[in-house]
Amino acid sequence: MTSALVERGSPPPVDPGADVPTGGGGGRRRPRRSRRSGPRSTLTRGAGLGLGVAVLWFSILVLLPLAAVVAVAAEGGVSGYVSVLQNDQTWAAVTLTVTQAAVVTVVNVLVGTVIAWVLVRDSFWGKRLLDVIIDVPFALPTIVAGLVLLSLYGPNSPLGLQWAFTPSAVTLALAFVTLPFVVRTVQPVLEELETDVEEAAASLGAKRSTIFRRIILPSLVPAIAAGAALSFARAISEYGSLVLLSGNRPFETEVVSVRVLTFIENGNNTSAAAVASVMLFVALVVIVLLDVLQRRVARRG
Amino acid sequence: MSIEVSGLTKRFGDFVALDDVNVSLPTGQLTALLGPSGGGKSTLLRIIAGLDTADAGTVTIEGTDATRLPPQKRNVGFVFQHYAVFKHMTVAKNVAFGLEIRKRPKAETARRVEELLELVHLSQFSHRLPAQLSGGQRQRMALARALAVEPTVLLLDEPFGALDAKVRKELRDWLRRLHDEVHVTTVFVTHDQEEALEVADEIVVINEGRVEQVGTPDQLYDEPANDFVMGFLGEVTTLEGQVLRPHDIEVATHPVPGGVQGRVERVLRIGFEVRVVVAVADRPDVTVVLTRTHSRSMHLEAGAAVWLTPAEGAISVASGRQREAASA
Repeated sequence: MTSALVERGSPPPVDPGADVPTGGGGGRRRPRRSRRSGPRSTLTRGAGLGLGVAVLWFSILVLLPLAAVVAVAAEGGVSGYVSVLQNDQTWAAVTLTVTQAAVVTVVNVLVGTVIAWVLVRDSFWGKRLLDVIIDVPFALPTIVAGLVLLSLYGPNSPLGLQWAFTPSAVTLALAFVTLPFVVRTVQPVLEELETDVEEAAASLGAKRSTIFRRIILPSLVPAIAAGAALSFARAISEYGSLVLLSGNRPFETEVVSVRVLTFIENGNNTSAAAVASVMLFVALVVIVLLDVLQRRVARRG
Repeated sequence: MSIEVSGLTKRFGDFVALDDVNVSLPTGQLTALLGPSGGGKSTLLRIIAGLDTADAGTVTIEGTDATRLPPQKRNVGFVFQHYAVFKHMTVAKNVAFGLEIRKRPKAETARRVEELLELVHLSQFSHRLPAQLSGGQRQRMALARALAVEPTVLLLDEPFGALDAKVRKELRDWLRRLHDEVHVTTVFVTHDQEEALEVADEIVVINEGRVEQVGTPDQLYDEPANDFVMGFLGEVTTLEGQVLRPHDIEVATHPVPGGVQGRVERVLRIGFEVRVVVAVADRPDVTVVLTRTHSRSMHLEAGAAVWLTPAEGAISVASGRQREAASA
């Protein structure tokens, strides 16, 4: 919004070089510095209003509560953070959550891409059904997901697999609820890919594997990264399915969200907020990393 | 012969795309596969490239039986109607792709890419992404990419089909000149007879999965094998069961020996040309094309009685197959 105000006050932009994406001689340094705030604003009055509404909404809904959490956490000062994180049980919960979320995200990237591929490129009996069912883990209330998994892998497991209340249960529950993310982000991109591009590569002598690596994958990376970010974010925040399945055993299967709840139940809001802000930081780092990766691949070609 | 196709048959379900096609395409020439949409010409091209497989028949490229070879091993360059660019690669990277696959030394690849971009007049765009190019430039890039691997044959599937009329005409001339420089055996598919007549050394007319005629543009125009070929290469009209060109009919305003009597239905002037539609008894209307001067001198008007005869030396074929309606 500020850039719009600045724009209105300043003389009309006359620098033709601003439109050229590959410009950048040393001589153009000075004008560029003056508009450091970003690309030239193209806001009309209507668009400005739209942006205003969007920012306001985002602030009320997301930024303010996040700031509040950080503020509460800061009440305990730096020492508050340190003491919370030095608590072995909390640290174990953070490590378990982040590790498991990372493992599940990697699994999703691989399996999700394969599922998307199969759904788009192959035709087989029951494909339509599979396409619909993929969303079930996402659509199901997570507590129900926990129940479903408990009936299959719990103490009375018909399969004889008693994974409940072990770290494997965490992996299982997270993998279950995050399954659709990569599939659903990759699928539409794969559908849009034109097969003549692959044929062109083949007639130039590229093997199937080379075509996948050099032609198809670069087009999918942004979608995969987006799916991975969603999947990771969902995994570190999962609560419902884990409550039933993991048993919440300290140092073993207790995840961050359960830990936070415990703090709140004990009236220790500052510690809860401290842990929450740590997770906020982790989520930000991962999302930024995936974004950087995606941009780098897109640029490298 | 560079490409020998024999007994090629291809079905898609009940639809017969190619029906026992036999054709030889000579080395070093520019050949057009010409025919209406859905006639099987693109399928033939794709089978030659190995992108589709035939149900029966063989394809031989420069003496090697290529029928069962995958596209990677055929050493053909293929250019697609919708460019098939590698969107995430720069123009130079696109062109270099085939050479990188072949693990050519970096310096050699760079030199060759530079040469090719020079050839297709895209040198100054080498660092751009395909999205920053116009349609015509993208297609020239696709051509350079296909030529980079020094293919035995260059196959182009409706290469100018997605471009607007002006660019299409430019690229057509440019392709002809390029071929005269590079001399690679080239086959291109088109449904535009003007494009084929203007650019190709030899034309293969394909319709409903069969080869109707093979010949030079002159042969096809002067000695059409049948009424389909005649009708596809230009406007035709039928007079007394003979298919001939509308400008090859003489009009008289008085009875002449052998003349077919008719009555002028409509007179339409298009620039220097006058099209006269003549109704004759028990037959479809006959279209005659005259020059403006000629028509004025005869005072042709709607309702006038006229007698029509084929002009001397007019090319005509018997109208047997009754297909001209579809191609007109």
